[in-house]
Amino acid sequence: MTGSLYTPDSAVNRRRFLGGAALVGGATLLGGCGSPEAEDNSSDAGDSRPPIEEESGELSILEWGGYEAAGTKAQSYGLVAGTDYTKDYGGDDISYTYINNDEQALQKATSDNAFDLMHPCSDTLPQYVERGLLQPFDPELLASYGDLNPYLLEATQIDGKQYMIPWDWGFSSLLYRSDMVDAADATGWELAWNEKYADKISLWSGASSNFQLTGLMLGFDDIYNPTDEQIQEAKAKLIEQKPLNKFYWDSEYGQMRPAFRSGTIWITYSWQAAYASFADKGMSVEYMNPSQGRLAWVCGFVLGANTENYYHAHDYVESFINKEASENLVNLYYYGAANTAIDINKIDNQTLVDSLQLDDPQAIASDDVHLARHMPNLSAIELAWQEVVAS
Amino acid sequence: MAGGRSVLTEVTSDSDELISTRAAGGRRRLGRGALVWPPLLFVAAILLAPVAFIVLFSVGLRSNIPGTEVAFSLDNWKSFLFGEENPFRSRFLYSMQVALIVSVVATIAAYPLAYFLSFVAKRRKYTLLLLLLAPFFTSYLLRVLAWQIMLNDEGVVTEAARTLGLVGDTETISWLIYSTFSVSLVLFYSWVPFVALPIFAVLENMDHRLIEAAGDLGASKWSTFWRVTFPLSIPGVIAGFVFVLIPTTGEFIAPLLVGGTDNQLFGNSIQSFFSTSPNWNYGSVLAMTLIVVVVVLMLLFGRFLNTDLRSTSGRSGQ
Repeated sequence: MTGSLYTPDSAVNRRRFLGGAALVGGATLLGGCGSPEAEDNSSDAGDSRPPIEEESGELSILEWGGYEAAGTKAQSYGLVAGTDYTKDYGGDDISYTYINNDEQALQKATSDNAFDLMHPCSDTLPQYVERGLLQPFDPELLASYGDLNPYLLEATQIDGKQYMIPWDWGFSSLLYRSDMVDAADATGWELAWNEKYADKISLWSGASSNFQLTGLMLGFDDIYNPTDEQIQEAKAKLIEQKPLNKFYWDSEYGQMRPAFRSGTIWITYSWQAAYASFADKGMSVEYMNPSQGRLAWVCGFVLGANTENYYHAHDYVESFINKEASENLVNLYYYGAANTAIDINKIDNQTLVDSLQLDDPQAIASDDVHLARHMPNLSAIELAWQEVVAS
Repeated sequence: MAGGRSVLTEVTSDSDELISTRAAGGRRRLGRGALVWPPLLFVAAILLAPVAFIVLFSVGLRSNIPGTEVAFSLDNWKSFLFGEENPFRSRFLYSMQVALIVSVVATIAAYPLAYFLSFVAKRRKYTLLLLLLAPFFTSYLLRVLAWQIMLNDEGVVTEAARTLGLVGDTETISWLIYSTFSVSLVLFYSWVPFVALPIFAVLENMDHRLIEAAGDLGASKWSTFWRVTFPLSIPGVIAGFVFVLIPTTGEFIAPLLVGGTDNQLFGNSIQSFFSTSPNWNYGSVLAMTLIVVVVVLMLLFGRFLNTDLRSTSGRSGQ
């Protein structure tokens, strides 16, 4: 496998209170931006696959609430994504099954194995492939494929095959009140361990992200594959940090944002959307660029191994990754878009442009950005995290 | 004496009904059986089957991860029950402590409420009862969130304390939220009406002539309450206590939203093991522990409740 992936559990709660994605449509386009690997990425069943006219078009999609295609009854958040698709095929034949976190997504995908499309994050991609749930996309069927960030494309390949089409990505770091926190203290992840700010800190309750950031602070060689000893070391460090937290937040919109806005907490683990939102409202906030580097994540669409709507599924994905839909994604949800052809001038929030370095497609590939990958010993890490919480 | 008569009356009545039923013949018995079995089987299926699966998960005979080899193992049980400084065992004990305190305090607070509704409110009692229950027509989650808004550092309570000069303008009340106090307070608020209901029901069904008789025999109001009213209402008190204790042992929403890092309950660990940090095998050990606790509580209180409530009902029927 060439790719390695990202952070799964960042996406878990990040999406819980968000809304809307859309279908764009009809880009059953050949050519365009085919990659050199297009031939290899084609499914073995390609020759025997029925043409699009013979497909039912009844798409079953495993999705986060709020990412439904425009033009479907389920959509209500204003995403442009999906518009092209529903213009061509209508929205009545699309059904969504909802997920709240990555683990639940994997469980549902495994037990059903009947979804045409799913929307996981890259760190769980190897597990989907290992369980035989996916088939690779054919990049030649995606007109916007050539506009997608090559780094993210590579990170979402396995054995050279494009099992995931990256759509949304972002950073994870510490967000802090610049009027309350000394700038000299805000240089690295150790800020979360600074007793000066006891009771004003809140880390997220995500197991893998907490062990990753602790691993960064402790200088682990590979924060995604810690040894048993390193897991115990990180666990002890997190137990040491625990009393400094006001609480571990589980919901961005239900817990973290209100507490940060009210001043209950000054320092919190956060995705860039919260930073852009608070800065936009005039709050004195900074999104730290830790000396050890930021964490990052990327999520995207994967194609069900048993789909009988192969071409419709490609059209659906194209309607999400195209330029207009991607610009809307950034403006609406403050995520980064995998599509590098977006017009920066059409992004409303310049704070976001700066924090995500949207004008630099290479920013996500920088050495000081740690794009989440699959953690082989995740079970041990999750148990260790539960012990931290219960300690 | 009166209680004894009521039981006799009830037994006699039940016997008559039984004889009458037998006389009705086999078809009627068959009809009753046919009605009972489907829901019984349904309940057994939806209640016992999941518990059976949890047992299998807890001993390693099933896994939530496809392709994982399964084999009988008591390692997770040993870790939880005997592991040195096992944090989940500590969390369990803390949770039981919180549940017990909340149940006792809620029961004590609910009694005067039920007493007022039954003996003082008179014709307005059902209107007041409805008002008492009104907040519970909204989502539990919303009510907990409302408490979060009220108790946070910029909430109305802290603001009021600042206005009254009890705390400084920039000070906060550290124990007000994200503490054992806030978790207990929300649980208390959530369950008080449900404790009041069974107590109210028992007080309503009480034979009020006994109270009049106590007065006629010279007992003071205080003495009448402690020697007549309260003893007769004990089944309702115990029912209310159990109504709080059992669900509170598995609570996870309130500690999640208003609890701090040190105030998460046992239910939060179980919830995490089945969702964000999946380890269904270990989570099943914790879940089974909770199930056993609930069953033991039911066994402890169930028979007592049934007997006393029935006799209370009989008294009211005289």
